[in-house]
Amino acid sequence: MSSAALGMSRESFARDRARAVIVLLALLGAAAALLLGSTAFGSTWIPLDRIFAVLVGSGERTDQLIVLQLRLPRVLLSALAGGAIAISGYMLQKVTRNDLASPSVLGVVDGAALGVVIFLACLSDESNALVTSIAWQPVAAAAGAVTAVVLVFALSGSQASSAVRLLLFGIAVAAAAKAATMVLMLIGPIYRTTQAARWIAGAVNETNWNEVQLTALLLAPALLAALLLARQLPPADLDEISARSVGLNLPAFRPLVFALAATLTAIAVAFAGGVSFVGLLAPHMARLLVGRSVSAGIIASLLCGAAMLMGADLVVRVLFAPTEVPAGTVTAVIGAPYFLYLLLRKDQIHG
Amino acid sequence: MDKRVASESGVSVETLSVSYGARTAVDAVSLAIPKGKITVLAGPNGCGKSTLLRAIRRLHPAKSGRVLLDGLETGRLREKEIAREIGLLGQSPSAPEDMRVEELVRLGRFPHQAMMQPWSAEDATAIEDAMFGTGIGHLRDRRLGSLSGGQLQRVWIAMVLAQETDVICLDEPVNHLDMAHQIDCLDLVSRLNRERGRTVVLVLHDLNLAARYADLLVFMKEGRIVEAGLPRDLMREDLIASVFGIQCRVIEDPVHERPLCIPMRNSSPRFRPVE
Repeated sequence: MSSAALGMSRESFARDRARAVIVLLALLGAAAALLLGSTAFGSTWIPLDRIFAVLVGSGERTDQLIVLQLRLPRVLLSALAGGAIAISGYMLQKVTRNDLASPSVLGVVDGAALGVVIFLACLSDESNALVTSIAWQPVAAAAGAVTAVVLVFALSGSQASSAVRLLLFGIAVAAAAKAATMVLMLIGPIYRTTQAARWIAGAVNETNWNEVQLTALLLAPALLAALLLARQLPPADLDEISARSVGLNLPAFRPLVFALAATLTAIAVAFAGGVSFVGLLAPHMARLLVGRSVSAGIIASLLCGAAMLMGADLVVRVLFAPTEVPAGTVTAVIGAPYFLYLLLRKDQIHG
Repeated sequence: MDKRVASESGVSVETLSVSYGARTAVDAVSLAIPKGKITVLAGPNGCGKSTLLRAIRRLHPAKSGRVLLDGLETGRLREKEIAREIGLLGQSPSAPEDMRVEELVRLGRFPHQAMMQPWSAEDATAIEDAMFGTGIGHLRDRRLGSLSGGQLQRVWIAMVLAQETDVICLDEPVNHLDMAHQIDCLDLVSRLNRERGRTVVLVLHDLNLAARYADLLVFMKEGRIVEAGLPRDLMREDLIASVFGIQCRVIEDPVHERPLCIPMRNSSPRFRPVE
């Protein structure tokens, strides 16, 4: 009986694994399709065969310009930023056992926004022209993000091991940063306000290859660290005492995950701007699709986040052309109702 | 490297103190917990019994003193190492409702798994053994949310069993169970103790259950051990009155031949009757 039962159980676990693999492959396919589709769509339609021609090094000069200089960088940056923020959200939700945890509640996104606004406000001259290169804006964003996280950890001090305390301090820092951002935008000249608002809403247009390369380079080690940490995460589904008694010291482990999540978010928002809603939503979708497995969840989050932001950017380009509406607006517009739907549905299950 | 400093067996607590901020919850407690026996910690609310149990598993840092496990100082062990030596089930464990029974039991193998090591045959044997031992094999594919309280408690005990630790600590394991399931659960624990030689440390509220299942009974009050010994020796009317603040009569349980306490009147009533 015991061995028969063993066989049965292995079957159900194998079924879960097979399902996760299929879902991940489907997500990969969807993300790849969006990547190609986003490159093809725009103010002019470029058929797939011409895109492939450009990718292998031939193709017409105009196609080369549009694909390589205008579209591919922004598409790739959307994918990287969306994926990174989604993983950040996934890990935060996992270690806090709270589905509402997301990178924005750590203060990272609002801190970065404040960094950008201070940068624009302080480094503009009388005629509203920047006295330095706009290329420094991501540095300002990253600096703001890091400052916010350091502040959150410094304020929580010895309480940093408690998920709730850390989130509360994160929310407080985020609120303060948001208020300061608002004040600076209100007293600032109109040019700065528009520029800052674009960043805050999350805009990926005017991306260049350097930005894509730098983002990818910084994200690679952070992603590797996330996948390594994932091996330690399964007991985080349990209450703190149970998790610790099977050997996962959550209070010691949590600040590590928070720091990594903050890093991932800072890298993502530095160039792409405040696309935070993806960090709340994509992990939900990932869990819905692949269940509790941590490694599969991280990869699914990456793909969902990437697809969401690429999709959002595609929508703004097709719907609002030639006006460049920030992609973050769309993730919020589509994301908020979907999130409400998830919450209401969950209530019914528990109700 | 062998970290064992002496050859004593079982768990020995040496002048252990634990405090929450300024409040001392466990005050210089020394206790020898015999190997392969059931030790029950009992005492009034807030006496420090749960804190002592968690401190034995190093879930609370010791302010002073130490805990030795077969002569091995637990303070020196790594997180996963101590999880392979001592298992603990808290008062109100929680897991996602949609988690499957076997998934939870499998988490008991976590401390045995190295960073990149896949699921091993040893792990599979351990969880089969734990599920068989607790009689939950038929529930393995069920979701936790669909189980009754008694079944759920068995699943949690199976998770701790799957850890294959020599010492198992259970903090008020029968608190939320009805009478039948209380007996069922403690019979299970006592069987696991007899058949598998696991050292068991329990925190129990019910004095009569404590007296019935304990090999060694420990009375605690205000962070200190008042007395430790055989239930027969500890279940004295005067001692119970001074520890629990209740007047009682102790008779012999005619079925189990263990002392049975019949509470009568609170010797220091908190709620005085209105005259």
